[in-house]
Amino acid sequence: MSIVINEPGLIAEPEPIRSRGGILWDTIRRRPSATIGATILSLIVVGAALAPWIAPYDLHEQVGPPFGAPSWQHPLGLDDGGVDMVTLLMWGARISLVVGFAATLVSMLIGGTIGVVAGYFGGKVDGILMRITDYFLVIPDVPLMIVVAAIWGPSLFHIVIVIGILLWTSTARVIRAQVKSVRERVYVKRARALGAGHVRIVMRHVLPQVAPLLIANTVLTIAVAVFDETALAFLGLGDPSRISLGKVIENAFQRAAISAGAWWAIVPPGVLVALLILSCSLLGQALEDALNPRLRVAHVSARGFRLRPLVGRNADAV
Amino acid sequence: MRGADYLLKRTAFAIVTVFIAVSINFVLFRLAPGSAVSNLSRVPHATQETRNALKQQFGLDKSRGEQYVLYLKQLVHGNFGVSFANSQPVAENLRTAIANTLPMVLLGTLFAIIVGTFTGVIAAWRRGTGAEGATVTSALAFYSMPTHWLGLMLVILFAGVLPTGGMTDDFLINPSWWTHVQDVLKHMILPSLTLGLVLFGEYTLIVRSAMLETLGEDYILTARAKGLKPWAIVRKHALRNAMLPIATLVALSLGYIVAGAILVETVFSWPGIGRAVYDAVLARDYPMLQGAFLVLTVSVVFFNLVADLLYFRLDPRITQ
Amino acid sequence: MSALLETEDLQVWFDLPRGGTLHAVQGISLGLERGERLGLVGESGCGKTTTALALMGLLPASATVSGRVLLNGIDILRGAEETMRPHRWVDLSMVFQGAMNAFNPVKTVGSQIVEVLELHHRAAGRAARVRTGELLAAVGIPDDRAGRYPHEFSGGMRQRAAIAMALACNPSVLIADEPTTALDVMVQAQILELLDALCRDFGLALLLVTHDLPIVAQLCDRAAVMYAGELVEHGSVDTLFHAPRHPYTRLLFAATPDLHGDGLPASIPGAPPRLDRQNEGCPFRPRCDRAFARCVDERPLLRTVAPEHGAACHLNDVAAEVAH
Repeated sequence: MSIVINEPGLIAEPEPIRSRGGILWDTIRRRPSATIGATILSLIVVGAALAPWIAPYDLHEQVGPPFGAPSWQHPLGLDDGGVDMVTLLMWGARISLVVGFAATLVSMLIGGTIGVVAGYFGGKVDGILMRITDYFLVIPDVPLMIVVAAIWGPSLFHIVIVIGILLWTSTARVIRAQVKSVRERVYVKRARALGAGHVRIVMRHVLPQVAPLLIANTVLTIAVAVFDETALAFLGLGDPSRISLGKVIENAFQRAAISAGAWWAIVPPGVLVALLILSCSLLGQALEDALNPRLRVAHVSARGFRLRPLVGRNADAV
Repeated sequence: MRGADYLLKRTAFAIVTVFIAVSINFVLFRLAPGSAVSNLSRVPHATQETRNALKQQFGLDKSRGEQYVLYLKQLVHGNFGVSFANSQPVAENLRTAIANTLPMVLLGTLFAIIVGTFTGVIAAWRRGTGAEGATVTSALAFYSMPTHWLGLMLVILFAGVLPTGGMTDDFLINPSWWTHVQDVLKHMILPSLTLGLVLFGEYTLIVRSAMLETLGEDYILTARAKGLKPWAIVRKHALRNAMLPIATLVALSLGYIVAGAILVETVFSWPGIGRAVYDAVLARDYPMLQGAFLVLTVSVVFFNLVADLLYFRLDPRITQ
Repeated sequence: MSALLETEDLQVWFDLPRGGTLHAVQGISLGLERGERLGLVGESGCGKTTTALALMGLLPASATVSGRVLLNGIDILRGAEETMRPHRWVDLSMVFQGAMNAFNPVKTVGSQIVEVLELHHRAAGRAARVRTGELLAAVGIPDDRAGRYPHEFSGGMRQRAAIAMALACNPSVLIADEPTTALDVMVQAQILELLDALCRDFGLALLLVTHDLPIVAQLCDRAAVMYAGELVEHGSVDTLFHAPRHPYTRLLFAATPDLHGDGLPASIPGAPPRLDRQNEGCPFRPRCDRAFARCVDERPLLRTVAPEHGAACHLNDVAAEVAH
């Protein structure tokens, strides 16, 4: 089979992604930021999931005085109720993660659907959906969340819905862009020409291409969802019957942990939340970069090109 | 005039968004379950006459549609209702609160923009070196910290050195104007710094990525070919162009600044609009909550519009 | 008399993100005389653009260069960026591929030409603006356009403005990298005529880097053919068209659609070798229709096969041996 001499400007169409997990796993292995992010995230998730079995003490068990200082048995000290901080953190992480994942699931479903529909059908449908997205974008998230939570009462369910309803916009945009580019690819056009129905095309051709990017965006959304939950809990709108990491911080704040000098009641939960958000951001960003490479050579930088002393053509160079 | 229709479109969009926000406000508060929320005449400690007067004013006995129209009319006149907490007009409370919030937020945002741009440019300029890694890591770290937690950290660190609560020192009686200003500024340092640090993280990343994108453009290579020195290229060409995506993204971060302000004011008991929201939530002071939400939303829409106009000014390519 | 611009064994390596290097330019030795027009041709990816950029030192930080670049006999490469920068635009200037983007979109075209004039102390302020108008007029752009932004120019006009800018400081060498790609045919012809006229009027030496052979035939006296980072043949355009001494040159020129001939352009099966690893033997061998045993493990060197005509192919040695 012959190949004509390449013309510059002829961009080869990317190969359809065959193995869905392939590229994601690859990125995690190869890019250091993704590896770090994935590792930290996994550790936190596993620790939280296994909390009922591996937490050193019982969640409601008072094992010492309020704001007891750190010691060998309690490396992170005790909270205002005399409960072991390490235990609190593990259980708190569970709720924070649950809210984070659930809210993200809601947002992913809404955003993904809107993105796919807008990108696939284009035209008027696209215009209307993007208009709606634009309006949603401008309204500030946290005040709306606060208002809704205040009116409808703080329960885990409400919080998840409220956060989810506000986070879908970025997902929708990213997915829409991807779907638009996939739609123009040769094999999709071929399928359409052969008379395949819309649903079939979306399920078989569009979704597999879009899935990795959706996952990357989801990870990034989890970071925001966790932050939002922490903020709501801090403002007293968290579910009072569940302890999330945000609630731990709020408790400490309310019970004047700082005046009592009990830094261990405040610093560790915040560090854990920050690590959670950081790991999701690192991982999500690295995945997104890998899937949407906007790699460009910087034409100017602090360092210039290097000179090598003259090497003879037949010498063993390099 | 160039791009008159672009300006018109963006302004119309802003107005429609405000309208939508206003309507959402109405729906949330007046149509919510429970008369505690929808009944604006339930100001605690009010006499029956006051209550009747308020009922009439807000048309609480009329149909929903009529209430809506009345609501819009009153907004235009600046009547936001009466606060449950201090029985003062909500509009008054909001006015004071906004005046307190603005300087604090402005200081923090300015800090973030200046420092963030500086570190972002350095990170892009020294790509692939340790300096880039260090700046990106610290930016990410600050960006990942919950705002209120960072505030608490600063309280722990600076307690005793800087004031950590309120806007003024309660023990200062009849201070001179200058002393008062100094007092307020001292109290402003920590809250502004908290807001500024979290924003700085985000801005560093934005500026870095915008600069990297710009430095890969063809005209940068041309500039280098023309014989310009590297730093001159950054100053004269790259920065100017990178301002465009930066301006857009800063505008998008406005919604975040609002959230950040709420959290920071709560931690530092700063009597601004963020704290007003928090207090209103605690006290279930719905008229205040409704008013504050509206003000916050409208200001975000407004600043987004400002950003659009700025973008329009900066980019000669926009003509439609 | 030394050539105006010469390279000696120019080599360029690029660092690859995953480690290792790409040997993009593997020992190019070229010469360009005053007022001469040389075409540098080859398929995309062969290293011709990199070579052109290297002549002005416009390579990124991921590049490593070796060899010499001689301007009027002086090696300007020896101090890397510091010794190359002073010569940019005043001795050597360049018109880039896709001049669509050569101009900064947020500044007026005129201001960017003024910038070069002021930078190199040719004129300042009002005098610079006047001169800019003259330069634009020389390429056929009315001078009231100077205050417009790049997006307000058509592609062809932008290219012409880029040429005007390139000549602002009276260089002796103009490097044109794919100056007509992405322009439509009518505009292409205009640009070529313009280049022809300007080079004649100003006595410029022209290095035309392109994959488009007809324009080389139109504008250039001599041509050099690159393949996989190496120079495989050089000589007068006539000779290369009618009596090439390298199979790649022959196939390349045969693949050019010919207005007079019939039949479809022939295509060369296969693809160029990867440049991120050391390769044995002749780089063209896998695609060559005349390869033989020696081509497998011995790399052919560039040899003079006739006056002003060099080629890197073992077949020439065979012919020479046969002739003896």
